[in-house]
Amino acid sequence: MNIKITYNWLLEYLDTDATPHEMQKYLSLCGPSVESVEKIGDDYVFDIEITSNRIDTASVIGIAQEAQAILPMFGKKAKLKLNPLVNLKFDQIKPGSGFDLKVDIKNPDLVSRFTSLIFDQVQIGDSPKFIQGRLRLAGVKVINNVVDISNYLMITLGQPIHMFDYDKISNHHMIVRESKKGEKLVTLDEKEITLPGGDIVIEDGSGKLIDLCGIMGGLNSAIGPKTKRVLLFVQTYNKSKIRKTTMTTGQRTIAATFFEKGLDEERVVATTVNVTQLLEKYCHAKVVSRINDIYPKKKDKKLLVMGYEIFEKKIGVKIPEKTINDILTNLGFSITDDPNQGLTLPEGQTLHITVPSFRVNDINIPEDIIEEVARVYGYHNIPSVLQPATYVSQPKDMEDLFVFQNRIKIFLKHLGLNEVINYSMISKGMIEDGGLKVEEHLRLSNSISEDIEYLRISLLPSLKKNIKENQGKKDVLRLFEIAKVYLPKKGDLPNEVYKVGIATNTDFSDLKGIIEAIYKELNIHNLSVPEIIERDGVFLAELDFQSLINNCQLMPKYKPLHPYAIIKLDKTFEIQPQTTYAVVRQKAFKSELLQKIEVVTLYQNKLTLRFYYSSPDRNITEDEAKTELAKL
Amino acid sequence: MDSKKYELEINSAKNLVELSELEIKFLGRNGLINDLLSKIKDIPNDEKREYGQKVNELKTEIKKYIEIKKLNVSKQISEEFFDKTMPGKAYPKGSLHIVSLAIEEITKIFEKIGFIRVSYPEVDWEYGAFESLNMPANHPARDDVETSFIDVLAHSTLGKMVLTPHTSNGQNREMKRVGKPPIRMINISKCYRPNWDTTHTPMFHQFEGLCVDKEISIVNLKGTLDYFAEKYFGAGTKTRLRPHHFQFTEPSFEVDISCNNCQGTAKINGVKCKVCKSGWLELGGTGMVHPNVLKEGGIDPSTSSGWAFGFGIERVIMMKYGLDDIRNYYSGDIRFLEQF
Repeated sequence: MNIKITYNWLLEYLDTDATPHEMQKYLSLCGPSVESVEKIGDDYVFDIEITSNRIDTASVIGIAQEAQAILPMFGKKAKLKLNPLVNLKFDQIKPGSGFDLKVDIKNPDLVSRFTSLIFDQVQIGDSPKFIQGRLRLAGVKVINNVVDISNYLMITLGQPIHMFDYDKISNHHMIVRESKKGEKLVTLDEKEITLPGGDIVIEDGSGKLIDLCGIMGGLNSAIGPKTKRVLLFVQTYNKSKIRKTTMTTGQRTIAATFFEKGLDEERVVATTVNVTQLLEKYCHAKVVSRINDIYPKKKDKKLLVMGYEIFEKKIGVKIPEKTINDILTNLGFSITDDPNQGLTLPEGQTLHITVPSFRVNDINIPEDIIEEVARVYGYHNIPSVLQPATYVSQPKDMEDLFVFQNRIKIFLKHLGLNEVINYSMISKGMIEDGGLKVEEHLRLSNSISEDIEYLRISLLPSLKKNIKENQGKKDVLRLFEIAKVYLPKKGDLPNEVYKVGIATNTDFSDLKGIIEAIYKELNIHNLSVPEIIERDGVFLAELDFQSLINNCQLMPKYKPLHPYAIIKLDKTFEIQPQTTYAVVRQKAFKSELLQKIEVVTLYQNKLTLRFYYSSPDRNITEDEAKTELAKL
Repeated sequence: MDSKKYELEINSAKNLVELSELEIKFLGRNGLINDLLSKIKDIPNDEKREYGQKVNELKTEIKKYIEIKKLNVSKQISEEFFDKTMPGKAYPKGSLHIVSLAIEEITKIFEKIGFIRVSYPEVDWEYGAFESLNMPANHPARDDVETSFIDVLAHSTLGKMVLTPHTSNGQNREMKRVGKPPIRMINISKCYRPNWDTTHTPMFHQFEGLCVDKEISIVNLKGTLDYFAEKYFGAGTKTRLRPHHFQFTEPSFEVDISCNNCQGTAKINGVKCKVCKSGWLELGGTGMVHPNVLKEGGIDPSTSSGWAFGFGIERVIMMKYGLDDIRNYYSGDIRFLEQF
């Protein structure tokens, strides 16, 4: 996700001498990636990419915290001032009385912290200009003072806030529970959502749902122009539940993208206090209830213990211990259990690190701390050295795959063929056109196009399509592809087998010649040419890659040279189904003197062949050769 | 046996082809001379010697006439105008796919520093694509990786069947194959994601590097990236690591390389570089292998560490050669294919 904040907004919390462009550069090198900075009016808008593990930085205060650690490494001043996360406490709210909310939480796993407060005499109107201006720069729609304040604080503190019209909640009763399958609710955007079940919802006690928690409020309890009493809601929810609901309902709201990543329960306090201050100031709201804070399982402090030496081992360079300590404390970690003690550890001693509450989801193992230190120290300050060389043996079958693929590809290229790479997925139509059975293919369940719905079991449908689509672009087309096909296996992953597919728009003999040339190149003698298919003027053949490897001879069989004469004799045959070339050839090679056969001419069905007879140990006579030939 | 009439016949030959026909006619196995020699059996014994001599003389004469004529014919040819600017005989020129060329180039670069290329399935279980990479089910990080699923029953423990959305499924398989470090793997394969627009094709290629050994640190990852960038993109190419987040690495980085179009200055003659905009181009994701990924592969993270990266082949081709309409790669258009 990305968030937009502004430079002036940031300066309210951060004391720094860094310019907006310096900030962009240094933060991007060592922390959140600031994708752009744009000057608008007298302010600068940062567009910042937030990675899914750092939802705490999706806020002005989160970026200020990062800046406090990073900017000093570049010689810039950066210090958090007015840190609301530290300074704002519940005791700064003067509780009121007269109104209350009855809350039943059916399952404590749904809401890790539930905080609410009721305001009266709320005057709905426009929010102050600075809030409107900043919201617009952040890309948030301006609505009214109450809604704007909650959005403003969401961006400032990274905690979504929800407000209900208190008077629209019948009996002022809330039951937090899981939804039943098929339950319906109309959300603020006036969409009727049918719930899949197991979603966190709030019911008013009469069976009516009023909130799809963490995602969007119900329309039936929404703030309107006439709202007088506001129920403020600052909660943290079970992140997996929120994620499941936002995915299954398709309601990908901004609030959901926060809650699904798991928020810091401690930040609820600062947010509640801050929103109260702003509602009092800009909406003349009066607190008329106690603070209802249900926080059953307060998290223990998270502590990591590690040695300084591991930093050098994993980063590869020694970083001074003081630098490590400074980086961590500026990020909000405290070193040693007692924050009042400060940095008292002598050199070389084990490091006790307390993880700040807003990092407990993200920081779990020493490697996480190493990343914090390494990135702020600066990856550009880490040297670059190749690891020591070592020998790892490549399995023979894998080596063969790549060696032979390369050999065949280069050979075919030199024969004049063009290599093509097609998608592994084809359409139903292509399968049927190729005479194959659709049910013998694996199908994609979420294909984005019917053109790429089935995994190929043959390369030929794609190659035929290639030839057809290139018709007219070039007279002679000879294409090949070496790729896997995917043969389904019941209850298991498919068999992934490499094939060599060849397609031409020439003729049978051209394609057969290409295949025979491959066999000659690889010294393959005992493999027959696969079936050559002609379909709509396209000639197609497919070879099994593994059997090429299996039948190949790296070196041809050497025949000693001899000085004896070779007798060449020509003979013409009338070919017919019983007397094909193959039949003649097979008979002819029964002679031990025959060395090879060449085709001289084929005219109609008259086939003239040239026979080469010789012996490696003596001169044979012409008569001997003629006798051999006469046996045919 | 008057040689004169043969001389005439030989001299009347118009070119080398006719001359070689005559050579066969007179001197070939079934030619005139052999014919005359075979008739020696019909000659009375006392004349045989003289007959044989005469035939041999004739053979010598004919040979001489043919040689002279050959020389003359060749001279004639060379005196005629010969246009040496004409193209030579045409030989076929095929082509390899641009992706094949890049795969070969990349494989060789890594072979030189001891990395072996491996081959692993393109269709895998969710376990291989996600869980083995520290990405449990329902984890938001899975959103970053859109996945194509196969319409078959899910495996009871390994999850649904998917088209691998990255080459990282090779990490766990290679760790298990090798058993214990060292690992030096380069896995190049087709990958699939359900995206199809001007900058995405539903199938693409990645190359994945994995190095696991006793003491591998960020320094070594930087060393390898610098080596690759210089070898593939050219001497002087710089790399830059930026923090990022991936579940399967900790720390995680994005790697940029300096733009060779503007030498990393972001400007050409004072105008903003059109290729990079900032002096840097994003190459892809990398990081130090997460201890959980090592554990899942049966490797003890307390004694071994490693780095991994996964980059797009199409992306590096685009960055190096500026071939930016990726859809042409897989369109099968001969006008595209035959250029390489």
